[in-house]
Amino acid sequence: MQSSTPRESHPHPVMMSVKEKERYIENFQFPYCDESTKYEKVAKIGQGTFGEVFKARDKSNAKKFVALKKVLMENEKEGFPITALREIRILQLLKHENVVNLIEICRTKATQNNRYRSTFYLVFDFCEHDLAGLLSNVNVKFSLGEIKKVMQQLLNGLYYIHSNKILHRDMKAANVLITKNGILKLADFGLARAFSANKNGVPNRFTNRVVTLWYRPPELLLGERNYGPPVDLWGAGCIMAEMWTRSPIMQGNSEQQQLTLISQLCGSITPAVWPGVENLDLYKKMELPQQQKRKVKERLKYYLKDPYACDLLDKLLILDPSKRVDSDTALNHDFFWTDPMPCDLGKMLGNHTQSMFEYLAPPRRPAQHMRAHHQLPGARPTTSAVQDNGYQDRVF
Amino acid sequence: MMPCWYYEKKELKNTPSTLDGIDYETEMRYRKEGARFIIDTGSKMDLGYNTTATGVVYFHRFYMFHSFKQFPRYVTACCCLFLAGKVEETPKKCKDIIKTARGLLSDQKFTQFGEDPKEEVMTLERILLQTIKFDLQVEHPYNYLLKYAKCLKGDKTKLQKMVQMAWTFVNDSLCTTLALQWEPEIIAVALMYLAGKLSQFEVVDWVGRTSKHLRWWDMFVEDVTMELLEDICHQVLDLYSQSTTTVPDSPPLLPRGSQLPPSTPTKPTNGQEKSTTDMLPPTTNPAPPPEVPPYPYPAMPPTEPYAHGFPYTAPPIPAPHIAPPPPGPPPHIPAPPITVYPPPFPAPPHYPPIPPNPPNNFYTPPPNPSAPPPSLRPPFYNS
Ligand SMILES: Nc1ncnc2c1ncn2[C@@H]1O[C@H](COP(=O)(O)OP(=O)(O)OP(=O)(O)O)[C@@H](O)[C@H]1O
Ligand SMILES: [Mg+2]
Repeated sequence: MQSSTPRESHPHPVMMSVKEKERYIENFQFPYCDESTKYEKVAKIGQGTFGEVFKARDKSNAKKFVALKKVLMENEKEGFPITALREIRILQLLKHENVVNLIEICRTKATQNNRYRSTFYLVFDFCEHDLAGLLSNVNVKFSLGEIKKVMQQLLNGLYYIHSNKILHRDMKAANVLITKNGILKLADFGLARAFSANKNGVPNRFTNRVVTLWYRPPELLLGERNYGPPVDLWGAGCIMAEMWTRSPIMQGNSEQQQLTLISQLCGSITPAVWPGVENLDLYKKMELPQQQKRKVKERLKYYLKDPYACDLLDKLLILDPSKRVDSDTALNHDFFWTDPMPCDLGKMLGNHTQSMFEYLAPPRRPAQHMRAHHQLPGARPTTSAVQDNGYQDRVF
Repeated sequence: MMPCWYYEKKELKNTPSTLDGIDYETEMRYRKEGARFIIDTGSKMDLGYNTTATGVVYFHRFYMFHSFKQFPRYVTACCCLFLAGKVEETPKKCKDIIKTARGLLSDQKFTQFGEDPKEEVMTLERILLQTIKFDLQVEHPYNYLLKYAKCLKGDKTKLQKMVQMAWTFVNDSLCTTLALQWEPEIIAVALMYLAGKLSQFEVVDWVGRTSKHLRWWDMFVEDVTMELLEDICHQVLDLYSQSTTTVPDSPPLLPRGSQLPPSTPTKPTNGQEKSTTDMLPPTTNPAPPPEVPPYPYPAMPPTEPYAHGFPYTAPPIPAPHIAPPPPGPPPHIPAPPITVYPPPFPAPPHYPPIPPNPPNNFYTPPPNPSAPPPSLRPPFYNS
């Protein structure tokens, strides 16, 4: 044993005291994690279950705007949320023109004020609009070629993420961003996950409590847990229809009602059209309307008009996920290869100088012809009292 | 600023701990103890080899930025395992990890966790995340081992034995700083080479062999010299030559020259204590839960043969004291069978095969952003 030192009476000689540790954390310059003060918040543009989203300016480059998505940690018992870890990991993996770009993760400085707990922000390239915002503004008019361009980019993004073994699991108009130059970006990977974990033929046991109800495919509503890319293609179909109807086509207010709405549009859910459906957990528990005829084309042709559009939509909204069209096949559909060809959105969007986001937009009007077929109003308020261009904030 | 997670040997001798007055050998021992503790805790909790290895890599990276004096290693180790569990989709509750850790550590070591162990780990998690730049995805040599093994021709039993031995070496390599020095591909090649030598499995032919290939690994990695391979092997073998007598136990976190506080006299280990090189499980208190199988982790070989250099020229019959890996991989980090993983979506008829893009997933290099967008193809009716 060595000779005694002045420290010997201290029970834990070299461990930092709490105070010392706090000071250490406050002063440590994390070389890989910048402080969020390098950005200056401009406006709040989103509020989701997992946190707020802000538009912000890069202080070192006044022309550069970003979106800051706050990681909510207040109610977390298990530290940094696993959902945020997933989102980060997936966004780090995905680099594609049609997927929102994660620039970095920033932190607030740990200080006494925040009890030495930094807040984290995901920092994205800023996109001027989201599709829900655009669709809720009647002054934004999409030509057929422009709709084709939107769908082509959306399917391209899906093709890319699925090729990388990622399921989005939260397709909806608010999660589809569009830059002022008309480039579409899939966003919000907060519910996404890898589907590569299915080893040795053991079926996946994913949660089926994903996807916003109105965009949720029948297999999830019936309790399927071993699902795959087709869940996102159903959502793509719902969004495609919405390009014309301008509001979500099936606004159920319960899982049961959503299934009813689906059956009324896509026909009865039976083993005849969907072999194996009878084995899904909730097949017997849910009330599935019988003798419903499939009316996708019939009911949507009023809006879509273009027969190729109707045909593609019909293939995206196929009940049986194994028969639903995949993104690759969809991209080869005549819809995208007949006149009018997909055309750039930049010009049309150039007429609009305000950002359009779901959060800032007035509630959308129902699509009258679609609504006629279900009795209950959607969960979203659908008053038409708000002015069509009643945006509060001018954010760009 | 882009992180680079690979370091020169020189940099490994000039770490925050070094600057804080901890000598190199001591730091290496702390790293080894921390890594071993993560492996032990992970295996007790039935966490897979990927989770465990990811936790260990976080641990090593963390101490490239902070000193062992500032952050006691067992708390960091728990935090790394906690985060790795979430990242690898095998989450464990923080309190359960702490409980397991409590069972594996002496009272004296557990004092590192302070008054409120969970709070301690939670606070550290934020620091850990910032330190590692949220660079969460880590690759390990395991999958490469399996990939390489599939290509090698020869006696199946011998091959299997070799892979199992290599697997064990990879486990043990986590206790070194190899993951801070070389890519997992290279570590896999080196340790497979070592296992081949030790198990006397000479690879003479392999699938995909061309005249350009001198060695089987030329197919997988470029410009790997024998010198490099041997250096890597030595770093692993050096672990086995650190005998229990020179380092009886992990001393408390004290700088050299100071002394144990009188309040915590060195007490005899009670079975919860694990010496650094004894890989046997605690046999007493706490009794392993019934579902945890007895823990036949191969005992570390004593020093003798390798202390004097590894016999590269005349590989002996796998010396009995290099306890051959048990039949089958070490139970706590089970090696999957040497079969191709079925594609994650076992191509059920309704999920059409993933087209052109390489089958990327988290365990393969990042996607190729320039993969041709499918829409650029002419419509099918033109082709
Ligand atoms: N990069 C961006 N540029 C512009 N706006 C964005 C960007 N990212 C998000 N937004 C806006 O913020 C809204 C919410 O963002 P996001 O969907 O990522 O979070 P969220 O909905 O809170 O997440 P979750 O659905 O997981 O709860 C989006 O609908 C969009 O309007
Ligand atoms: Mg969202």
